[in-house]
Parts: sequence; structure tokens; C-alpha cells
Amino acid sequence: MSSPVIKYVGRTTNFKGKTLWEIVGSLKNYGVGRIIVRSVFQRYSEPSFMKIVKVETCPDEERRRVRVWVEKTFRGRKLPNLTEIYRTSYKPDYNLIPKHEEVKLLESAKSYENLPEVILPNSIEMPPLMKKFIVKDHEKKGLEVIKDYVMPLSYHYSPNRVKRIAKGDEKPTVQFTMALGTPVSPSLYEGVQLQ
Amino acid sequence: MLPKKLLLKRSCPLIMQIAEFHRKPRWLPVAKSKIYRIPKRPEISEEERLELLRINNNYKTQMRAIRRFYHEEMIKEKSSLESASSEMSQKLEAEEWERCVQINEQWNKQVAAEREERRKIELAAMEEYALKRMEAKDKELQERILKASEKIKREKELSSTFITPDNLEAAIDHALANPVDYNFAIDLKGNIISGRDTQIPKPEKTQATV
Repeated sequence: MSSPVIKYVGRTTNFKGKTLWEIVGSLKNYGVGRIIVRSVFQRYSEPSFMKIVKVETCPDEERRRVRVWVEKTFRGRKLPNLTEIYRTSYKPDYNLIPKHEEVKLLESAKSYENLPEVILPNSIEMPPLMKKFIVKDHEKKGLEVIKDYVMPLSYHYSPNRVKRIAKGDEKPTVQFTMALGTPVSPSLYEGVQLQ
Repeated sequence: MLPKKLLLKRSCPLIMQIAEFHRKPRWLPVAKSKIYRIPKRPEISEEERLELLRINNNYKTQMRAIRRFYHEEMIKEKSSLESASSEMSQKLEAEEWERCVQINEQWNKQVAAEREERRKIELAAMEEYALKRMEAKDKELQERILKASEKIKREKELSSTFITPDNLEAAIDHALANPVDYNFAIDLKGNIISGRDTQIPKPEKTQATV
């Protein structure tokens, strides 16, 4: 007996796995208490997984979807509230964690709980040309002249945010600058003089 | 835009440039020749990918900060401009209001005078109309009284011939004495012969014709 050869034709995808209904629908009690994983979020070094708490099926028109509430752990940080998965439940990107691996995963998450908090800055220095421009511009408009060349920094809202944004005069642990910064892969900059 | 057919079927030549989008419209499906074309995914080395990700993330944060700064500055400038011009504008607005009120009062006076005149004319017309109606009504009443009095007179004259309890006996006697026969016959010529027992005179001419 030779195993059947499956040949896929068409565009490739980044997704890897099944839709949530394909997993949950074939489990006892709709898989409440089991752990699932989005394969896209496996790219982070910290563990990200979701524990199913409640499952609601959907009408026949939405046969690729389910409404699932999960306890979400994203990049080693557990979210305080339950998360509802409905809009993204059709994505064929979910994987079920077998029962004997669950313990290992939960333990690996524990090691990330006590890591020092990362605080993002709430302000950034102006780029060099803007510093020169803004003095003249403000003089022209009759506005007060800026002394510290600092702009407020805004971040998109996300419930999954792992790093904290500094409040007030808190000292951030990370600094953003207007320069190129230190390259991640220095091999690309061979022969180029960096400042 | 004129339809294309109309332009092509025109009688006289027309020089015209039509800008067209040389592309498949969005709502058409994939071309037959392109159905099985699978575009190749770009291959980026891991090093490059990470570096690009870092640079792009940096760029986005920097740009967001700059955009926010200028957006806030614009709002500040706007509000300061408004506050500076608000005193001037208030003065101007008050003057404008005063002027508007004056014009309005003038208009009101004019309209009031016009209305008074119109009301006078209307009142006169109404009075005339009412008088006319009253006269007509009087006339009608008079006529009716006249007619009624005439009728009463006639009835009074007739009342002398009425049968009353006093002359009832006499009337019965009179009726019995003179019976009236309402039966009648009619011949071909239209002659009415009243009475049931009346003898019909025999015409002689009819015999002659027969």
C-alpha cells in the first residue's frame, strides 16, 4: 500500500492548520478546557496560546465560523478578560495542542511571567532638519519658540499590548531615536560606515 | 460622457482624444489566459526580513510622531486665530445685528401702513356687501308676506262655500237631490258623452257611408 500523494496547486499561504470549527466541532464537549494555538503567533519566542472556555455554534449561513471565548495568553502575558473569537474563527490557522503537551506549554509560560517590564517612551526627539525648521517657522507665525525638541509619541491601541507605555515622567526602558539605530543583521551593512 | 457607439457612428469626422484606462475592470473575473498563472512569492532572506522589519517599524513610529505633532499644532493655531479674531468679530456682529433690527423695523412700519389701507378698503367692501344682502332679504320677506296675504284673501272668499256643521244637512240634501255621474264614454272623434245612462244620438252619416 502506497500512501496517496497530495499535490497542492495554487497560491501558497502563511496559514498552517485548520479552522476553529474543524477543531472544536470534532472534540468532546466542543473542546472546552483544551488549548489551541494560532500558528501565525508562533513566530514570537514567548509562548502564545488560548484556552477554550465557552463555545457557541453558529447558524447554517456561517458554517465556517464559531463563536468561542478563550483565556488568551499572548507572548507570555495572560489577558485579564476573556477574548471572543468570531470574526477570525474561519481562518485555517488554528492548531490543537495534545493533552500531554499542555503541561509543558503552561510551565513555559510561567517562566515569562516574572520578566522585567518593558516601558515604551511617550516622547521622541525631533529629526535634525525639523529642529532647524521649527524655530524659524514658529518665529514667522509668532508662536512661542520651542526649547526642548521633543514630540509626543502615539501608539495604536491593542488589547494584546505586552509592553507598557510610559505615563508622565516615567523613565522608559527602551529609547526610540530618529537615527538608523543598531542594525539587527550587521552582515547587510558590510563595508558601510555606520555612525 | 458620450457613449462610444455614438461617437463612432457620427456623420462628420471629429477629432477628439479619449483618455481610457487600459486595464481589466475590477468586476470582471480573471482572464482565461491567466487562470493558471501562480505568481511566485518573493524570497527574502531571514536577515534582510528582520532588518527591513526593524527599519520599517522605526519609520512608522517616527512618522506617527511627526504627523501627530503637526496635527496638534494646526489645531492650536486654529484655536488661537479664532480667539484673536473673536473680539473683532463680536463687534462686527453686534453692528450687523443693529442694522438688521433697524431695517426690520422700517419694513414692519411700511407693511403696517399698507395693511391699514387694505383693511379700510376691505371693511367698506364688506359693509356694502352686507347691506346689499340685507336689502335683498327684506325684499324677499316683503314678497312672501304679500303672497301669503293674497292666499289668505282667496281662502277667505272660498270659505263662504265650505260645508259647516250648520249647513251640513242642507248640503247632504242638495247632494242627494242632484246625483252626479262621473262615468263617461268617448267615441272615435273624441266626443265625451258623460253619464252611464245617457242615450247616444245615432249619427246618420255613418249609415250613409256604410
